[in-house]
Amino acid sequence: MNKFIPYRLFKNIDKILMSLLLLLLLIGLITLTSASQQDFNLIGNQIINILIGMGLLIILSLIDPKRFLFYAPYLYLISLILLLFVAFFGFQSHGAKRWINILFFNLQPSEIIKISIPLMLAWLYHRFQNKINYKTHTLAFFILLVPCVMILKQPDLGTAILISLAGFIIIFLAGLSLKFIAISGFGIFLALPYLWSNLHLYQQNRILSLIDPGRDPLGTGYHSIQSMIAIGSGGFLGKGWSYGGQTQLDFLPETSTDFIFSVFGEEFGFIGIIGIFIIYFCILYRCVYMAQKMQNTFSRLITASLVFTLFSSIFVNIAMVSGLTPIVGAPLPFISYGGTSMVVSLAMIGIIMSLHFHKSLIAN
Amino acid sequence: MDQHKFKYFFTRRLNFLFGIFIFIFAILLIKIFYLQVIKFEDYSSLAQNNSLKIVPIPPIRGQILDVNGEILAENKLVYTLELDPKKNTDLKIVKQQLTNIVKITKYDLKKYSKTLSESHYSTTLPIKSNLTDVQVAKFVANKYKYPEIFLKHKFARSYPKEKSGAHFIGYLNRINKKDIKKLKKLKQYENYIGTDHIGKTGVEYFYENRLHGQPGYKALEVDAHNKVIRVIETVEPIHGEDITLNIDYKLQQVAEKAFGKYKGAMVALNPNNGAVLAYVSQPSFNSNLFINGIDETNWKRLNDSNHKPLINRVVSGLYPPGSTLKPFVALAALENNIRRPPFSIIDKGFYTMPNQSKTFKDWKKGGHGEVDLIKAIAVSCDTFFYGLGVELGIPKLNIVLKRFGFGEKTNIDIPNEKSGLIASVEWKKEKYNKKWYQGETAITAIGQGYTLTTPIQLALATAKLINSDNNLRPHMLKKFNAPDFMYEDEINLSGNDTDNLNLIKEGMSLVTKEGGTAAFIGRTTSYDISAKTGTAQVFGLKKGEIYDETKLPDKLKDHALFIAFAPSKNPRLVMAIVVENGGHGGSTAGPIAKKIFDAYLNEIK
Repeated sequence: MNKFIPYRLFKNIDKILMSLLLLLLLIGLITLTSASQQDFNLIGNQIINILIGMGLLIILSLIDPKRFLFYAPYLYLISLILLLFVAFFGFQSHGAKRWINILFFNLQPSEIIKISIPLMLAWLYHRFQNKINYKTHTLAFFILLVPCVMILKQPDLGTAILISLAGFIIIFLAGLSLKFIAISGFGIFLALPYLWSNLHLYQQNRILSLIDPGRDPLGTGYHSIQSMIAIGSGGFLGKGWSYGGQTQLDFLPETSTDFIFSVFGEEFGFIGIIGIFIIYFCILYRCVYMAQKMQNTFSRLITASLVFTLFSSIFVNIAMVSGLTPIVGAPLPFISYGGTSMVVSLAMIGIIMSLHFHKSLIAN
Repeated sequence: MDQHKFKYFFTRRLNFLFGIFIFIFAILLIKIFYLQVIKFEDYSSLAQNNSLKIVPIPPIRGQILDVNGEILAENKLVYTLELDPKKNTDLKIVKQQLTNIVKITKYDLKKYSKTLSESHYSTTLPIKSNLTDVQVAKFVANKYKYPEIFLKHKFARSYPKEKSGAHFIGYLNRINKKDIKKLKKLKQYENYIGTDHIGKTGVEYFYENRLHGQPGYKALEVDAHNKVIRVIETVEPIHGEDITLNIDYKLQQVAEKAFGKYKGAMVALNPNNGAVLAYVSQPSFNSNLFINGIDETNWKRLNDSNHKPLINRVVSGLYPPGSTLKPFVALAALENNIRRPPFSIIDKGFYTMPNQSKTFKDWKKGGHGEVDLIKAIAVSCDTFFYGLGVELGIPKLNIVLKRFGFGEKTNIDIPNEKSGLIASVEWKKEKYNKKWYQGETAITAIGQGYTLTTPIQLALATAKLINSDNNLRPHMLKKFNAPDFMYEDEINLSGNDTDNLNLIKEGMSLVTKEGGTAAFIGRTTSYDISAKTGTAQVFGLKKGEIYDETKLPDKLKDHALFIAFAPSKNPRLVMAIVVENGGHGGSTAGPIAKKIFDAYLNEIK
C-alpha cells in the first residue's frame, strides 16, 4: 500500500478536517458565483487558487515539522524583506500600499507574515523552552513589533491588529505572567488617545462611523449600512441563491471579496449563517483538539496561534460586515475571492496537519 | 519549566482562549439574529427603498377654448436643456461648453438659480428653454461631450392669442414656496409632484383643479448606479380637462379693436344666463412672458407702468359709477312712490338744497326745462336726481342697489374680484368717524360721492334689469354649475315690479334716441339700443372752476362709462364699458359699444 502514491500523498491528511474544509470551499464557490453575478472568469481563478492552496496544504502536511523549526528564522527574515520591498516598490490600490508584483501574480506579504510570525515566535520559545523568562518575552515582543509597525505604515490597520493579537496569543500561551498582561493592558488603555491621534483620518472615520453609521450614509458609513441592509433583508430563510437584490443591483460593494458574507447572509438567511458558523466552529474545534494532542512546545504554540489567526480573520470579517466593528479590508478565510488569502489559509491547515501527524517526531 | 507543568499551563490557557472564541461567536450570532430576525422588516423595506424609484408622470394640462372651439391656451412641445442640481455642475463650464450650440445668457443663469431655489421636488431643472430644431440637432450630435447636460422635451403652456384676452385667460408660473404651502394645506400637494407650473391668475387659476388633472407614476427597479433594471408598475396620469369658455373670440377681437388705444374695461354678458361673451381689460400684456418666470426688464415695464396693464380692470378696477347709477336710483324712487310720472320738475340748471342756500349744478348749463323721470334718464338730468335722492334718502336707495348687486362681489369665476362700495351713514361714521351731510345724499344719487363699482358689477346690474332670475351670475365657463354660495343679504329680484322696470327701460331706450345723451349711436343702427351714459370725475374742480376737457392732461380727464343692452325689446347682449380718462360717456364709450353690438347682432348671429 505504501507504494501507492495517492495514499502516500494523503496519508497525513486529517479526514475530518479535510471534509469540513471541502464543504466550506464548496459553499464559498456557490456563494461566489452569485456574488460575482456569474463571472465565470473569476470563479475559474478562484478554483485555481483553491487548487494551488490544496497543493501547498498537501505538501506542507508531508513536511517534517523539524524543517519548519529549522526554516522559521529564515522565513521570518524573508517576510521582513518582502515587507520592506512593499514599502519601496509596492503598488498602491485603494489608497494603501499592500501588494508587490512578482512575475505573474500580485503578492500580499502581510498575509505571509501571518504564518511566519507564529513560526518565528514558536521557534523562539521552543529554543528557550527550559528558561523562558522576561528576556524571552521581550525578544518575542520585539520580533512581533517590527513587522506590525511596517504593516501599520502601509497602512493596514486591520491586518496589523490581527497579527499582533496572534503573536500575543503565543506569548500568552508561552506563559507570560498575568500581572504583566494586566499592567500592559492598563498602559495601552492610557496610550489610546495618543494612538488615536496617530491614526489616519480615514481610519478615525471608520471607527467613528461604527458608533453612528447613519451620520454619513454616502461616506464612511455607506458600506456598513448597505451590508447591514443586505444581511438584515435576508431574514430567516434568505432570498434564495442569486436573488439578493442588494448584491445583484450593486448596492453592496466588493461582493466577491470582503463583503461575500453579506451576500451569503442575504441569499441564505439566518439558517444558512448558522450552518456556516457550525462548520467554522467544527474546523476550529478540531484544530484546538489537535493542538492539545501535540507533544511539544513548538507544535502547540504554532497550532494555537494559527487557529487564533484563522479565528480572528473570521471574526474581523463577519463583525465588520454585520456592523459590529469598523470596515477594514479583511477577507473571509476559505470563502472570499483572493489568491493570497486562500493559499495562506490552506497552508496554515497544512502546517497544523503536519504537526499533528508528526506529533511524536519532535522529541523534546 | 518542565514539560508537564508547561502542558498543564498551556492547556488551561488554551481552553480559556477557546472559551473566548465561543463567547465571541455567540456575540456575532446574536448580532446577526438581531439583523435578520428582529429587525428583518426594517431592513427589508430599506432594501426595497434602495432599489425602488418612483418617477412621476405629470398630467397634460387641459386646454382653454372659446365657445366655438378656438384655442386660447394650449400646450406646446418644447425642448429644454436641463441640469441635475444634485451634481452641482459648474454653470460657467456649462455656458462655455454650449457656446457653439446655444447662448446661455446672464438672464438664463439667473433664472436657473431662481428656479433652483424654488424647486419643490427633486428633478433636473432647465438652464435653457425653447430650443430651436437646429439647436436640438446640434446638441444631439454632440451629446456625448456633455454627460451632465440633459435634453428634455415637455409640454409647455402657450397662449396663441398673446395679449388678447390675457386678463381672463390668466397665466401659469412656476410653483413657488407659497403655492406649495397652499397645496399642502388643501391636501393637493401629491397631485403636483412632477409638475412645475400652476395657474396664477384668470381662468387658469380659477379652474386649476379641472385643468391640472392627476399625475401618474412609474415604479422602477434601479441598481446602485441608478440604471433602470425593469419597470415594476406604470400608472397612467389622468390628463387635465379641456374647458370651454362662453367667450366668443370673434366678439372679443372686435371689442379689443374697438377699444383701440384707450385704457379701461368692457364686459359683455348674455342677459339670459350670465354667460360672459367678451371681456376686455386694457392695456393688456403678453401672458407668454410669465410662463417660466418673467424677466426683470419686462416685469418692471409692466409693473411700474402708469397704465397698470397687470390690473384686471373688469373685476378689480373700482370706478365711481357716475350717471350709470341713475336707472337704479330711479327704480328705488318708483318703488317708494316718489316722483312717479307724470310728476315733473322744471330744471333751470341747478338744484338748491331744501332749507339751505347750497346749490348743485346740472351738467347742462341752463338746464333741461321740464323733466319727468323718463326724460331725466334719457338726458341724464342731474337736477332731477339731486332732489330725488334727498327725498328718497340713503337707506331706501341702498336696499335697491344691494338687490342689484352693488357693493358685493358678483362671484364671477375669475379670481381677485373686488366688492366695490355702497356708502351709508353708518359706513361713514365707522370709516371716517364723520357726520353724513345731506349734500352727500344728493351727489350719491347721481353716482358720484363714495360709491365705487367694478365693470362686472355694472354689467350684472344691467342684466338684472332684464332677467329677474335670483341666481343670475356672470360666468366664464360654458358648462357651468354654480357652486353653492350665499349672498350676504337675501336677494329677491322677483320683487321687482314690471311696471316700474318698464318705466326705467323706456328711459334707457330714449338715451340712444334724438335728445338722449347717446343719440348719435342710435341713428345708424337697425336695432334699438337701450343704454345709460355716465361720467366719473377723476379730478375735483375747485369752486368756480370750469371743467374744460381740452385743457386737462389725459390722466386727469373724466372716466367715460356706459351700460347698455340690445335689442331693447328682447335683449341678447348686455354690456358695461369704462373708458378711463375718456371724457363724456356717450362720446367715447358709446361708439365702442355700438361696434360690439353691431358685430354681435348683425354679423355673428
